[in-house]
Amino acid sequence: MNKPYMGKILMVDLSSGTLTEEEIPDRVYEQYLSGMGLGAYILYNRMPAGADPLGPDNILGFCSGFLTGTGSLFSGRWTLVGKSPLTGCWGDANCGGTFSPAIKHCGYDAIFFSGISSNPVYLYVKNGKAVLKDAGDLWGRDAVETEEVLKKQYGPKAAVAVIGPSGEKVSLISGVCSDRGRIAARSGLGAVMGVKKLKAVVLEGVQRIGAGDPEAMKRLSRHCLKWVNFPLPLPGWMLGFVGAFLRVTPVVFPQDGILYSSILRKWGTGGMNQTSIEMGDSPLKNWDGSNRDLPMSRSRTINPDIIRSMEIVKYHCYSCPVGCGGICATKGKYPHTHKPEYESVLALGGLCMNEDLDSIFYLNELLNRAGMDTISAGATAAFAVECYEKGILTKEDTGGLELKWGNTEAIVALIRKMVNREGIGDLLADGTKIAAQKIGKGSEAYTVHAGGQEPAMHDGRCDPGFNVHYSLEPTPGRHTLGAHLYYEMFQLWKRVKGIPKPAPLFTKNSKFKVDGEKARMAAACSKFMSLANGAGMCMFGLFIGAKRVPTFDWLNAASGWNRMPEDYMAVGERIQTLKQAFNVKHGIEPRNNFISSRALGTIPQQEGANKGRSVDIEKLAEGYWGEFGWDAATGKPKEETLRKLGIQ
Amino acid sequence: MAYTITEKCNGCGACVRLCPAGAISGEKKKLHTIDADLCIECGACGRVCPQSALLDAAGTPCVMIKRSEWPKPEVLLKACIACNICVDACPVGCLVMSDVPRDKGVDAFPYLKDPRACIGCGFCSKACPADALVMKKPAGAAKTVAAVESA
Repeated sequence: MNKPYMGKILMVDLSSGTLTEEEIPDRVYEQYLSGMGLGAYILYNRMPAGADPLGPDNILGFCSGFLTGTGSLFSGRWTLVGKSPLTGCWGDANCGGTFSPAIKHCGYDAIFFSGISSNPVYLYVKNGKAVLKDAGDLWGRDAVETEEVLKKQYGPKAAVAVIGPSGEKVSLISGVCSDRGRIAARSGLGAVMGVKKLKAVVLEGVQRIGAGDPEAMKRLSRHCLKWVNFPLPLPGWMLGFVGAFLRVTPVVFPQDGILYSSILRKWGTGGMNQTSIEMGDSPLKNWDGSNRDLPMSRSRTINPDIIRSMEIVKYHCYSCPVGCGGICATKGKYPHTHKPEYESVLALGGLCMNEDLDSIFYLNELLNRAGMDTISAGATAAFAVECYEKGILTKEDTGGLELKWGNTEAIVALIRKMVNREGIGDLLADGTKIAAQKIGKGSEAYTVHAGGQEPAMHDGRCDPGFNVHYSLEPTPGRHTLGAHLYYEMFQLWKRVKGIPKPAPLFTKNSKFKVDGEKARMAAACSKFMSLANGAGMCMFGLFIGAKRVPTFDWLNAASGWNRMPEDYMAVGERIQTLKQAFNVKHGIEPRNNFISSRALGTIPQQEGANKGRSVDIEKLAEGYWGEFGWDAATGKPKEETLRKLGIQ
Repeated sequence: MAYTITEKCNGCGACVRLCPAGAISGEKKKLHTIDADLCIECGACGRVCPQSALLDAAGTPCVMIKRSEWPKPEVLLKACIACNICVDACPVGCLVMSDVPRDKGVDAFPYLKDPRACIGCGFCSKACPADALVMKKPAGAAKTVAAVESA
């Protein structure tokens, strides 16, 4: 019977230039799937404790999903794994596009790089043969340009993942770019690729990807298609009012993700721009402002209808029927750009109080080309602006830039400096935590980070679930692993036994009450998303609901196993615990990763949507960690938990 | 499982030039062999071999078909969900996504950019989760390409 995985990985030692194919036993896939699970398995077992993230011992892995290419939908995500130089913890970044199936077409489930090359190189794989080639003439070029050069050389079918100048300059907030601007940006893994002198990975395979029961896969996909692409009769101008309603209403009902998939279909992630600002989900003014600072009259410049009017054609990742991305026409230097995502718009916009949409489009493309994380770049710029406003940074420090809230020109100039590591930009190019250490003068108070990584543009004071996952996950600061809202939309209780079903109507304040149910919900999110990252599934697809998007059934049909959803949740639990065990092995104290007090609302806000709200992360930590069988006080997995899950 | 070459092979090299996986090797005018690890069972070698020297994965001899009669994919745009699966499944790269949206739509669409490169393997059609691609004999295929390009 055909297996959905290729059963092989490629290990590349860049120091010696040796490439080794390795077979992976079936039992590893049964326990961890591939994707993030396989990545965690390899990194945990092979990286020596205390490895320097920027040294030769760090291993960087490009992992395709277990379900990628099997006929399932929403399964085109690949995971970049490594030890994060930004946080020192387990690092992963997730990206869509067409790179995930390309890894499998080359006959591998994942490609891992260790060592450091003496000169710039890139990996080229075709017809089962992998070689390292000289990348001297590519070094220094931006990500899009490099991809164009490589595609000209190898043909349009070649899949390319590449770092830009930001990764080459070992900026700790850089990522890995593919498909002209899809970027695996989080955890600063672009810096790892840069320090290894690996410019690109070029894949040109044609190996076929199997599935245990292709007919069943197709049947399940057709069933799933019924639930996507519902037309949404909501006009764009009303979206802000939806947010305002959600702000004032004291009671809410569990939200159905079908609505979100319609929003994603129509506008992309940017559909939530104004809604999120109004409801208090978007942090503004470096997490110090509220929706009152950016009322609808000012935020209308980032209304999704305006962004949509610039869209030429929708962009679909591999195997996605929704197509939340888009290719947009822009004014100025770059004629085309990927539609800026919600995170980018709010980080470069609301967080810096910048309302100029043209500048956001420009910065989005600039950062994609540089290979820098838009979330961290925007957050660091916002931090610099606040330092300037508070007198910690002077005009002399900034090289003459008038870093005021909403001063678009200065913000654009600052980010350009960060990309080029010039002047103040050099100081800021490694994220807020390191910048604050260098600046001193009490600037630490204005940083918002979890374990060193800037959190995404979802305020944990609006949905405390975000603070749980920002602070307590093995990868601190990530927003794609869980939240109260995500739990509602995943609708896991419809498939998995023993997990709580939210009440049909509940008060918003009840979300802030710390109890065992919240811990179980958060843990279920983490398990499910770890499983999904092993399977290569997209979170936005999963929002449609566990019963409509048949993840568990696809996994059974693809693998030929006959497992219950609970068994798969145990796989997610194993991946999650292995990541935490990786952190403990490398001497991380999970308690040090709690998000900055500003985002916790330790001093609650005085006005706006999140007025008076604070989150007790200490109590939440006990419940969440306890739920996984990790020590409730320290967050370290207990011996018996590791034994139970078969982790040595 | 993979295709195999029998003694009938005269080493003309027609299959080597066509194989999208680079799986066939051999000296000119000598018996060629297929690397089973690389073979993707697209069947192009079997369709092109003038000697009928190919056996498919099940051991059935392949019959040569005139290249102009190889089936080609026809895209049913109404059913297409623009998921890129067919484009990814194409081993040759002759099927690509458009840069512009389809008529009265917002999504791109797959089209046979290079019909002459198509090897008629049907992988695109088999992989499509929405049954939006049908393999048809050339007359129909040629018409569709023209229709799609004008759309």
